[in-house]
Amino acid sequence: MSTPGSPVTLDLHDIQGNIVKAYSRYDYSHARYVLFEITDGQAGRGFIATLAERVTTSAPWGRGSTEERPESTLNVALTFAGLRMLGLPQASLLTFSPEFATGMRGRGAILGDDGPSGPERWDPVWRKPHRIHVLITINGVSRDAIETAYAFVTDITGRYRAGVRCLTGHRDPEGRNDMPYQAASAIEIDGKPTPKEHFGYTDGIGNPYFKGTGEHPENVLGGGKVTRRDATTRAGWEPLETGEFLLGYKDEAQEFPEAPMPPLLGRNGTYMVYRKLHQNVGSFNRYLDAVGTEYPGGKEALAAKFAGRWRNGAPVTTFPTEAEAEAFAQQWMAAKLKIQQTPKGPAREEAKAAFAQLNAKFVAFDYSKDLPGAGCPVGAHIRRTNPRGSLEFGEAFAFDTRGALTNRRRILRRGLPYGSVVDPQDDTGEHGIVFMALGANIRRQFEFVQQQWVNYGNDFRLGNDRDPIIGNHGTTPEGKGDGRMTIEAEPGGGRPPFLCGGMPRFVETRGGEYFFVPSITALRLIGEGMVDPT
Amino acid sequence: MPNIAGKAFAMNLITPIERWQAAFNKIQFWAIRQPILSFSLRGLVTLSMIHYARWAIVQPTEWPRLDESQPKEKLHYAYQLFFSNFNGSWAQYVDSFSVAIPSGLNLLWFRNVGWPKAVPEQPFHRYVEHNEVWTSHYYSAYPMAASNDVKSAQRVKQALTSFASRTKDMEAAAFEQAYNELLNELQADLSQMAPTPIVSLANAAVEERMRQDAEAGDEQDSGRAPAMMGGSHAE
Repeated sequence: MSTPGSPVTLDLHDIQGNIVKAYSRYDYSHARYVLFEITDGQAGRGFIATLAERVTTSAPWGRGSTEERPESTLNVALTFAGLRMLGLPQASLLTFSPEFATGMRGRGAILGDDGPSGPERWDPVWRKPHRIHVLITINGVSRDAIETAYAFVTDITGRYRAGVRCLTGHRDPEGRNDMPYQAASAIEIDGKPTPKEHFGYTDGIGNPYFKGTGEHPENVLGGGKVTRRDATTRAGWEPLETGEFLLGYKDEAQEFPEAPMPPLLGRNGTYMVYRKLHQNVGSFNRYLDAVGTEYPGGKEALAAKFAGRWRNGAPVTTFPTEAEAEAFAQQWMAAKLKIQQTPKGPAREEAKAAFAQLNAKFVAFDYSKDLPGAGCPVGAHIRRTNPRGSLEFGEAFAFDTRGALTNRRRILRRGLPYGSVVDPQDDTGEHGIVFMALGANIRRQFEFVQQQWVNYGNDFRLGNDRDPIIGNHGTTPEGKGDGRMTIEAEPGGGRPPFLCGGMPRFVETRGGEYFFVPSITALRLIGEGMVDPT
Repeated sequence: MPNIAGKAFAMNLITPIERWQAAFNKIQFWAIRQPILSFSLRGLVTLSMIHYARWAIVQPTEWPRLDESQPKEKLHYAYQLFFSNFNGSWAQYVDSFSVAIPSGLNLLWFRNVGWPKAVPEQPFHRYVEHNEVWTSHYYSAYPMAASNDVKSAQRVKQALTSFASRTKDMEAAAFEQAYNELLNELQADLSQMAPTPIVSLANAAVEERMRQDAEAGDEQDSGRAPAMMGGSHAE
């Protein structure tokens, strides 16, 4: 049992791998997401029990580990409807969180899935939530690895066909809307996978660091919670409590998160939000082109102000000009190259340390020197979704801890882009991102960030302004976008802020659901039909 | 439920406290309002979702009776009344208090009967729920305004009025300079104001039904408006 402040040891062999590892960081640049309906409980339980033996755990790979890194990973998540079909007793079902039981479609009014994000626009497969029971996510280092894992899944689906059916109805880039899976893969440039998304930004940089993850301790820099020390140093950060992301461990409120019963069903599991998000690449590019000519810094600077990062990932609060961001990116590349070119030994360790120091600059910062937003706008995407202690508004010690209003709103982000952009001026077509958010409480973490920080602005003293990039901007009676953003100027300098208006909706929901990601033990319990909360 | 009006949420919390302990709290309430100790309220002020918060002690003899005929209650405890209006949902508010200013909450409530401490959060939630008095009627004159919007509007109005008189006879170039300075000064107050995001699915459903009923009522009433004027209350 853990007490606050104490180290936590996780049973990594019991935790599904996608919770602790962002696979795309380990070169798993291809993915396939498959949905299943269970029509017979017994067959369904056999299906789950068989999958449980193949599920990728969080056990570490590589050096100092007995585990080989697999060619592909396989993970399983269940919906509320799925748990019911699998025969969980009502007494257990009632212990899952209400928002999970309601499902993403039912929570649409909170998430802002309206207008072009409404369920009638979703991929056909997501329009019948009562039939969505099981999600299998496959990640692979190559397309071949994906095919092999998919063949395995197809094979066992066949074995349990008496009561398990793969759901069709995913759209694909060829215009079909009856595909049996959602494909996703990293965007390739010159044949190499990149961490880019379709708007051109480097994605997936900031992810929370929590106790027991087994990640390199240095990753707490920028990934943990802010202390009152300098955020560019190790002392500026502490790991988040495990219970924010995994059930069965103490959370930031020094208690065990509310979790399903019996305890073995919840422990080492978590909740997951899956969203297929379409990107209106044409609208985004047109807006940047048009407004970028008026914006003093030009188009790239405008794009950076929207995101809070330059498109190469450099945080705009640390690197206020494009030249500085470019110079940093080049330094970073050179440092990375140097590791490869340096022979093993102390010199290489030195090169590694130098690289780590540079790499930390992507995440090891806060807004304490940038409160009015002249560097990174207060309404910029990364500042909204992770305010890094700035909600104290410079009133040092106003709150007992600086990150008080941030630490319980963090999410683990997973997922990959899907489709490709054929014409950068065209919104239509299949291109976007499959976004997954993991956390112990969907309402307090993902839904809150989505509703209060992305689609609203009061916590930032920004009224009803929304996130410029992913906010659910509406349409004026004249048919123009109604999104707005203030790009703050240096206060007192006499220069006016830059006011962006007329933003249309750049990102639209195309489907999704709320899932539970059980531990290996829980999958076995469910598969064997042994769940009993008494 | 009437706990919600526009962007505001009303919370009334009445918690029992031993009478002799209440005396200490009264002194404490007075003390934290003194300028020299006002730093202890900075957390509350920084939580800009709050419109208003007030603490008071109600002695057993101080409870109002509607009429002489209402029997006097024999109360064992004094009660601490906490009255607050804030923006956002109940959970958002209660959670913000618990994570941001737990030591302040403990200081104000630790003498109260059954106080579980502000952290952990689940017992704290249960304590608030148990002692909360539902609002029977709640009205907001500015349903689209959060407290931040009100403060911004005041600053904008004041700055604009002074700007108008100051720049009446300015040359174009000087005016432009003054205008840019005005925008710079007001840059944190220029966001748009629109209806509240829904507080809960239940509340949104009630609002929607009321809106539909009102529309249906308007259609019906248009034919027989004079009858309504006659005062249907008497029937």
